[in-house]
Amino acid sequence: MQQESAEILSLFKKSEELVDMLRKGRAFTEELMSENERLRYRVVQLESERINPSQTLIKEVERLRVENGQMAQKLEFLDGKFQQVEAENKDFAQRYVEVEEQNESLANLYVASHRLHSTLDSVEVVECIKEILLNMIGSEDFGLFVMDDETSGLIRAGYEGETAGTPEYERIALGEGLEGVVALGGEPFFSETADEGHCACVPLKIKNRVVGVIAIYSLLSHKKGLSMLDHKLLELLAGHAASALISSKLYSMADRKLRTIEGFMSLLRVTQGGGNV
Amino acid sequence: MSNKSLLVVDDSATMRQLLCMTLTRVDGITEANITEASDGEDALDKVKSGRFDLVLTDIRMPRMDGLEFIRKVRSELNDVALPIIIISTKGAEEDVQIGMNLGASGYLSKPVSMTRLKELVTNFLGEH
Repeated sequence: MQQESAEILSLFKKSEELVDMLRKGRAFTEELMSENERLRYRVVQLESERINPSQTLIKEVERLRVENGQMAQKLEFLDGKFQQVEAENKDFAQRYVEVEEQNESLANLYVASHRLHSTLDSVEVVECIKEILLNMIGSEDFGLFVMDDETSGLIRAGYEGETAGTPEYERIALGEGLEGVVALGGEPFFSETADEGHCACVPLKIKNRVVGVIAIYSLLSHKKGLSMLDHKLLELLAGHAASALISSKLYSMADRKLRTIEGFMSLLRVTQGGGNV
Repeated sequence: MSNKSLLVVDDSATMRQLLCMTLTRVDGITEANITEASDGEDALDKVKSGRFDLVLTDIRMPRMDGLEFIRKVRSELNDVALPIIIISTKGAEEDVQIGMNLGASGYLSKPVSMTRLKELVTNFLGEH
């Protein structure tokens, strides 16, 4: 009996050990399953990490492509802007040249008119007209003719060069030769080639009254033709030289008359003084 | 450039006035910097008594012409450094050659381009 109970007790202990082992086995299995789960999760994570870089790269490439497109648009815009600024620059440079030409033209016209009206001496006025024709216009052979009130013809008042210096140009009747025709009609004549012996023939007018004529027979050898500035200067001479010539003529007449009157006055004073004595 | 001194030599008062007006449009040059002479002799006296950085001279002038003036400045005064620009109605190639051989530093023919004159003056005053 005692032996049987000892065996039962031994079996009970063994069964308890077995249960304990089974418990441990279960815990171990659970632990394995948990680890398995963790590893599977890690595998999925690693696989996703392996795929993501390529997607990032694709995204980055796409972003760069968009950026490149924007840059190309910007470049095109800037290129257009640059061309626009360059065109404006050229335009400004052209305008600068034009303004410089205008300045030059105005300076010439100012000096010419200033000089013409700076004196009341007819000889100086004639010299001034000659200086303008020679230095500013570049005439080589030219004559200045003034209207003679007595003969109603033209008298040479000044000249430079061979043609203008010939005796036939000392006096010109109205309507004779180009000078006479221009003086009669009052219309200027311009020729680009000077084949007919005249480059220009300009009437000097005060309103509609012709008081003289400027005839240019040839230009300086290095000058090809009359420029726009030359035309403007000749136009200016047509008016200003005429008034300067007439002013100086009137002034010298008034001066002469004044001297005559002063002579009479002093003679009267002497006569009256003599009578009183 | 404000301390530069220029001498303009021309028997034509009109031309002198035009040149002076143009020169005063160059940066730093005022009327105070410009002296005028009406012929070569007058110019030579002024060069002897004063100091100039640039001379502009005509050729055809009474008493002493521009070429004689240049010759005297270069040989008698022994001044080879003074820049002298000829501004003349004589514009043929041989006239230019004669002027340059005598010692002119530059040559402009009349009617003178004011833009070209300003360029030339600016260059010479910048160099010296």
